[in-house]
Amino acid sequence: MKGLRAVVVAAVLVVAAYLAYRYLLQPPRHTADTITVYYCKTDGETLLPWKVSLRQPLAHESGAEYRKSVAFYAAAQTLAGPPASVEAIRFPIGTVVHSVTLAGSTAIVDLGGTIAHSTGGSFAEGGEFKALVWTLTALPSVTAVQVEIDGSKVASLPGGHLELEQPLARSNF
Amino acid sequence: MSSNNRWRVRTFSTALAAAFSFALAQQPASAATASYWFAGTNLVFSKTQSRAGEVAVAIDDPGFTRFLIKLNATVAYDPAQRLIIVTSGDRRVITFTLGDKGFTNGSARGRAPFAPYLAGGTAYVPFLTLAKALYVVPVFDAQTIVLQPQIGGLDVRTRDRVTTVTFSSAAPLRFKRLSSAASERLTLAFSGVSSTLEAKRRVAGSAELHGVSIKTSGSARNPTTTIVFDASPLTVYALANADSPNVVAIAFARNGVALNGTPIPDSGDAASIVATAPPQTIATPTAEYAPAGAEVPAEAAIPPPALVAPVVVTSLDLAATDSGLNVRVGVSGPVRYEWHRLGDNRWYVDLKDATLGIPGRDEQPPGTAATGLRVKQLAGDPDPTVRIAFTLASSRQVDVVANDSGFTIAIAGGDDLDGPRVGAGRVAGGTLISSAPLASPGDLWSTPGLSHGTVPTNPKLIVIDPGHGGSDTGAAHNGLTEKVLNLDISMRLRSILVARGWQVKMTRETDADVSAPNASAHDELQARCDVANNAGARMFVSVHINSYTSSSLNGTTTYFYKDSDRALADAVHRRLTGLGTADKGVRKESFYVIHHTTMPATLVETAFLSNAGDAALLKSPEFLQKVAAAIADGLGEYAANNPLNTTSLPSPPGS
Repeated sequence: MKGLRAVVVAAVLVVAAYLAYRYLLQPPRHTADTITVYYCKTDGETLLPWKVSLRQPLAHESGAEYRKSVAFYAAAQTLAGPPASVEAIRFPIGTVVHSVTLAGSTAIVDLGGTIAHSTGGSFAEGGEFKALVWTLTALPSVTAVQVEIDGSKVASLPGGHLELEQPLARSNF
Repeated sequence: MSSNNRWRVRTFSTALAAAFSFALAQQPASAATASYWFAGTNLVFSKTQSRAGEVAVAIDDPGFTRFLIKLNATVAYDPAQRLIIVTSGDRRVITFTLGDKGFTNGSARGRAPFAPYLAGGTAYVPFLTLAKALYVVPVFDAQTIVLQPQIGGLDVRTRDRVTTVTFSSAAPLRFKRLSSAASERLTLAFSGVSSTLEAKRRVAGSAELHGVSIKTSGSARNPTTTIVFDASPLTVYALANADSPNVVAIAFARNGVALNGTPIPDSGDAASIVATAPPQTIATPTAEYAPAGAEVPAEAAIPPPALVAPVVVTSLDLAATDSGLNVRVGVSGPVRYEWHRLGDNRWYVDLKDATLGIPGRDEQPPGTAATGLRVKQLAGDPDPTVRIAFTLASSRQVDVVANDSGFTIAIAGGDDLDGPRVGAGRVAGGTLISSAPLASPGDLWSTPGLSHGTVPTNPKLIVIDPGHGGSDTGAAHNGLTEKVLNLDISMRLRSILVARGWQVKMTRETDADVSAPNASAHDELQARCDVANNAGARMFVSVHINSYTSSSLNGTTTYFYKDSDRALADAVHRRLTGLGTADKGVRKESFYVIHHTTMPATLVETAFLSNAGDAALLKSPEFLQKVAAAIADGLGEYAANNPLNTTSLPSPPGS
């Protein structure tokens, strides 16, 4: 009888220890740790993938809200560029992301600031938007990017070259 | 601002408004002239009217034009959209619509006391409303209204450990540095401008800059605004590139952080550090903002205003002669024309930059020389164009003869024996300024060829598109401006191609917008495509110069979009390599003008003007000539290797 009691106590202790480990000591599981942000190297061709960490969804934040926030973060990271020591084509300093909206499989990115009156060269334009399109289309279910400037669709940047009127996909680059 | 200060400002503003209303009430109901003290001179407007307690000024008033020139601003009237578009010196766009009191100022909206309107064919705008939108405020001084330019915009932003402060002014900015180069506190005095910006602004979130203080002193006619930047110890600062002489940007960073810019001189002006301003804005004499006593340029020194409105066709009278027909065309001013004789007894003349001020016509003219006459405003042409077209009874001789009010199209009784051809000229003040045949004889339109849409391909025609132009400067670095170089190379290319027997059409031949000044990117780029598409060009080449924020990039790139155009880009690029620039290859890119043109199209980025080595080449006329010759060679090679798929066509010239 004593032996049986000892076995039961031992079993209870094992279960208690497992539960303590599972729910108290183990770190919480992450849904998605990182996304890939792409930068375009100064050869205008090569893409440089860059992993950036994501925050966890907030309490009461819906899945749609979280995806939109991630898309905005991805666009902002693309505009920020890699660390200064890394050579890459960079958006003009002072360019801002006003918003990113997800409409079906298209991410609508509203940019503003310097780029709204930028007259950079075609080479930079190609690299900048290649990076932006590759970054956003790396997000789940996003296949194209519609660029807007200060809330409006534009044929191209002022004094620009690249066509921005229609959504851009990876196949455009 | 303290509540006390706010009260003072409100009181001052109320008193100013009241005084202003009183002054305007004293003006006659329909004033013919108005005068203001502005930038060291008395500015007289001769075409004004009084409306709703404000002054309405015609946009072609010479005084108004001088006012805008001094501010680096421009005005354009778009009759089709009924828009009056004013671009300020700091590159904001202020848009009025005829019949609408509301207007836009950049992204903001405003409301004028009255709606802009047309009178005598000229658009009138609410002058003081527009002046305020341009950061010019009216101030009373000794019974005179002084129009005082202001620093009206202040932007502070911190990024990558660099804080940049940007000031926007109504007028080109000239400054004098009052602090020593070693001082942490930077003090700049801007002469000729006042400011109603907040006197003190604390800069939050910046480790480099604590705050900015702004103070205006001096007189109403000659104000000076002093700005003090309170930087942290061990902070360095530099003038950053701004996109207008009316804008000054100063970047602050901790010592050791890379800072793009130039050291701040003891005195200077924004124009000297402008990277992308149009040349005409740089050429604006900033001396007009010199302190009192400085020499004021004479009126004659002010460049004449650009034509804002197109020439108007005011009359068209027909008179049959013994065996011919005279058509007398009245025009409101100098006009360019281009006539075309087609192979089927049709003859027409296009009046460029012209609008039809009379009803269109479609009729049988008197006499027997012609069986049909049509007069209409062309739709879809990038420039407003009036076409006068005849169906001739036979292959009649047609001449264009100048007269006092325009010109006469004289259809003679005799036959023309020279066949289809094209000519062009210009009529001004009753004088035929120039008249010359275009290209080599041959019918631009009736030659059978590949059809792009509804326009048959002219196998001899190449359209050259000098990138940017007019209000769009393109890139500017190292003392070079892209739009100027693009045009230079393109004109050289045209000469070479014409010498080789090609017909050439340019999207622009001068420093001008193809659509309209400050048109949307769509309108401007589509206008360039339309030139080629409407002409049925066989090939299209767009000439550009590249640039980048870093001076390290260099080289030549040639672009195509349609896969079928790869061969054209390859042919041109092969010839361009070996001219001394790095080979950055042939790339596929969705650039508007090579996507929306219907014929083989390529876009050439000759070199990087932001790179010292490439810039040195671009400053050499010999290099530009070599580039033009290389492009011409490439086009010729492509044409020779890709003949149009009909045996009835002539061989491409030069092949």
